[in-house]
Amino acid sequence: MASSPAPIKHSLAETLKPYRLVFAVAALYAVAAFSSPAQAYEAASVAVKTFAGVAPIVIAVFAALGLMQVFVDKQAMARHLGERAGLPALLLAAAAGTILVGPVFVIFPLLKSMRDHGTSLSIITTTLTAWAVKLTMVPLEAGFLGWKFSIARMVLTLSAAVVMGPLMGRLMRNESRADICKTEPKVA
Amino acid sequence: MDLTGIVYLAGVGIAYAVFWRRSPERSKKALSAGTSSFKGMLPTFIAVFGLVGLFDVFIPPALIERWMGSSSGALSLLVGTGLGTVAAGPPAAAYPIAATLLKNGAWAPAVAAFIVSWILVGFISLPMESKIFGARFAILRNGLSMIAAAVIGLLMGVVL
Repeated sequence: MASSPAPIKHSLAETLKPYRLVFAVAALYAVAAFSSPAQAYEAASVAVKTFAGVAPIVIAVFAALGLMQVFVDKQAMARHLGERAGLPALLLAAAAGTILVGPVFVIFPLLKSMRDHGTSLSIITTTLTAWAVKLTMVPLEAGFLGWKFSIARMVLTLSAAVVMGPLMGRLMRNESRADICKTEPKVA
Repeated sequence: MDLTGIVYLAGVGIAYAVFWRRSPERSKKALSAGTSSFKGMLPTFIAVFGLVGLFDVFIPPALIERWMGSSSGALSLLVGTGLGTVAAGPPAAAYPIAATLLKNGAWAPAVAAFIVSWILVGFISLPMESKIFGARFAILRNGLSMIAAAVIGLLMGVVL
């Protein structure tokens, strides 16, 4: 049967999968090169120049990403957040979200474990929203859009995080009741 | 060469030196984690920078100005938020696209809304979010985030 060549073919397809978008763009370039070679060349040189301009930042961003990933203890942070309430908790959650690094499929399970430990939906929303600050990426953003833009967006995103937490908490009030009951005895 | 890049690179270098003294093994782990995320992102980077070049040359600024220009006001803001909502990908890919939009006459608040909704609103992650926190939470949070993106955009216009 054709079972032995199949895995090889599969793994080749798997290897090429991330490059789908690259192939699509390459195809666009091919079309452009046929219809207007001069402009296609200009487009390619803009692409290379743009990348060369930010290459040092890109390298630094990923190096910083690695540091954050290894040295920030996500689980400890999650435990810490679950134990607090009120404005200090929101600010702490905003700070925590800011230094969180990782793709969606890492962050959501982490937030889920926070939820399972009784963290309120307000705190979870604030953490998740502050995660959009993307602290390690800020220099890259500044490289493209300027420091003023980057810092303004960061400050406004953090403000949004602190506002959206309690707002979501209110909107989800009915669902959060169980948690309120769970944490109440601790206060008394 | 760009100063931001050099300063940032130097800063990260110093951070590594400090962490290396504390724990060489974990620093090595950090370095390899960074390398592997870079490798994972490389195809996207190649594609996005390629797209930025095409965009820059082939998309007429008039088109961008019409849909995302300052004279279109609310429409620009809506288009920026909408584009960011449907776009999927790492935030690092959003910046070069945003810069091209800005350079070709897009309104700064619309571009800011585009970036914020790109990062904050996830159509792709909606099923995952619903599964973990419930559909009500996921829809409300993404909806609020879209509003937040537009408001942040507007406020950026005031600041910048």
